[in-house]
Amino acid sequence: MKQMSVVADSPVHSSSSDDFVAFLDNELGASSPDSSPDKEAESQDELESVRIKRRKIESIDETEGSTSEGIIKQNLEASVEVDVCTHPGSFGSMCIRCGQKLDGESGVTFGYIHKGLRLHEEEISRLRNTDMKSLLGHKKLYFVLDLDHTLLNSTLLAHLSSEESYLLNQTDSLADVSKGSLFKLEHMHMMTKLRPFVRSFLKEASKMFEMYIYTMGDRPYALEMAKLLDPQGEYFNAKVISRDDGTQKHQKGLDVVLGQESAVLILDDTEHAWMKHKDNLILMERYHFFASSCRQFGFNCKSLAELRNDEDETDGALAKILRVLKQVHCTFFNKHQDDLVDRDVRQVLSSVRSKVLGGCVIIFSRIFHGALPSLRKMAEQLGATCLTEVDPSVTHVVATDAGTEKSWWAVKENKFLVHPRWIEAANYFWEKQPEENFIIKKKQ
Amino acid sequence: MFFHIVLERNMQLHPRYFGRNLRDNLVSKLMKDVEGTCSGRHGFVVAVTGIENIGKGLIRDGTGFVTFPVKYQCVVFRPFKGEILEAVVTMVNKMGFFAEAGPVQIFVSNHLIPDDMEFQSGDMPNYTTSDGSVKIQKDSEVRLKIIGTRVDATEIFCIGTIKDDFLGVINDPATV
Ligand SMILES: [Mg+2]
Ligand SMILES: [Zn+2]
Repeated sequence: MKQMSVVADSPVHSSSSDDFVAFLDNELGASSPDSSPDKEAESQDELESVRIKRRKIESIDETEGSTSEGIIKQNLEASVEVDVCTHPGSFGSMCIRCGQKLDGESGVTFGYIHKGLRLHEEEISRLRNTDMKSLLGHKKLYFVLDLDHTLLNSTLLAHLSSEESYLLNQTDSLADVSKGSLFKLEHMHMMTKLRPFVRSFLKEASKMFEMYIYTMGDRPYALEMAKLLDPQGEYFNAKVISRDDGTQKHQKGLDVVLGQESAVLILDDTEHAWMKHKDNLILMERYHFFASSCRQFGFNCKSLAELRNDEDETDGALAKILRVLKQVHCTFFNKHQDDLVDRDVRQVLSSVRSKVLGGCVIIFSRIFHGALPSLRKMAEQLGATCLTEVDPSVTHVVATDAGTEKSWWAVKENKFLVHPRWIEAANYFWEKQPEENFIIKKKQ
Repeated sequence: MFFHIVLERNMQLHPRYFGRNLRDNLVSKLMKDVEGTCSGRHGFVVAVTGIENIGKGLIRDGTGFVTFPVKYQCVVFRPFKGEILEAVVTMVNKMGFFAEAGPVQIFVSNHLIPDDMEFQSGDMPNYTTSDGSVKIQKDSEVRLKIIGTRVDATEIFCIGTIKDDFLGVINDPATV
């Protein structure tokens, strides 16, 4: 017998109701032209065909009377209702407002909220506007947080250095992650260390912000990390954006965040991921707990884990940034001269930043040409005045070598002589750093 | 809506299942194969309720497998446009809310939530009437009307509305 067997998963005469079967068939023909019965073939050698040919539905009236249930009448009403709908978005390729099937894939995908959800630009801006009012009413702003090197550090288990292998015996239980900070995620072949202070940080920040996670990691990783940071789902529920959700490769954008740009703060260690939103960004000092992470960024030093050390819990990077957040939040809501909706957190951020090195007059001495422009820009954003010629008003000489003419001048005139890292540290911690920690030694 | 219908399927059985338990083996394989699956045509097969008829088996050359045409009764679930469904809210956000009726995913956008209900953010986001008497949040049970369905090979998506009389919350988890 060479003939293939043919299976028909199709309604045949039912003892219960022929009407239903006919109705079902009509309805199916009318509403799912795309679902071919072939898709149902699930077994390799089974070929399915439907015996009952789909009746062509000329008009909705044909379904009338095919059943005694009230459903047909409702069905009729729903279908006849001709609405001029702008189709603000779609779910499962149906309009979220009128239910009509839509062709094509226009609009922005919001897969991080729910599979199959898309919204159009106008709808996004409508949602942002209404949300903005209610959020400001609650004295909150938006806060977009990066994961890697900002809130935590992860490594593949295989990349643990020999000096780090002691960590394998020190991981915290996954049964109650809220108590731990070092986790082995066997199924992902990974180990993750949360940054010190991160739990207090998130708790405090959640009082001031509606928070999103935005990572260049993939979706499963992002969700796994969100579970470690937020086991109760209080902070990031349906607000975890991964690289699978972005609209541009290797870039993060606020287009998938349902908040107005004028009310969004971003915390990330990677500045170039946010080309379009630098004014919203609080740049984070990188957290390198694992050796693999140091290597990835070209550092030849020992990792925190190898040194059996860690950032300070109460005065580390996150604690310092929390103080900045509080200051920005407070400034945003406490100045009373204009309407809340007209305020821009980017301006507040830049004004807070410009006070960090306020009053400092800086002159650079023999800084590598490539580094100079960005260093100068950084200093100016922090409120310092940068000069090119020595002048009695100069307060700081920034150099890498104590033997330059300007360095000698600084010593002679009793000015501060500091390493460029003094500016970078002020930029990370939003605070003028003690100059004595950035003294430069004379080169031999 | 649930339907009790008769479907037919050709079941292939390995010779090791032959013998006096043949019928039982066929039935349990059938249940394993079809229950919980979704077909674009009929919706979700909820349960096999009975066997109408098992036809004569056809032995296939070479393999020794035998194909039996089996007619079986089953309960299927398939939502329709215009149908009123009761569903459990799974997620609430500023766009609206998502709900589930069994395996069916339903989205009710805020365009289709009554205008007097406003979104409240927070750790338990919800839609609440201005007087606070009605609240939709996660785990609320709602009665909604389906205005669009899309049945794929493996999934069913629906668009729902509660902007009509007698629709909305039927059981608020916060009050029980
Ligand atoms: Mg990062
Ligand atoms: Zn529409």
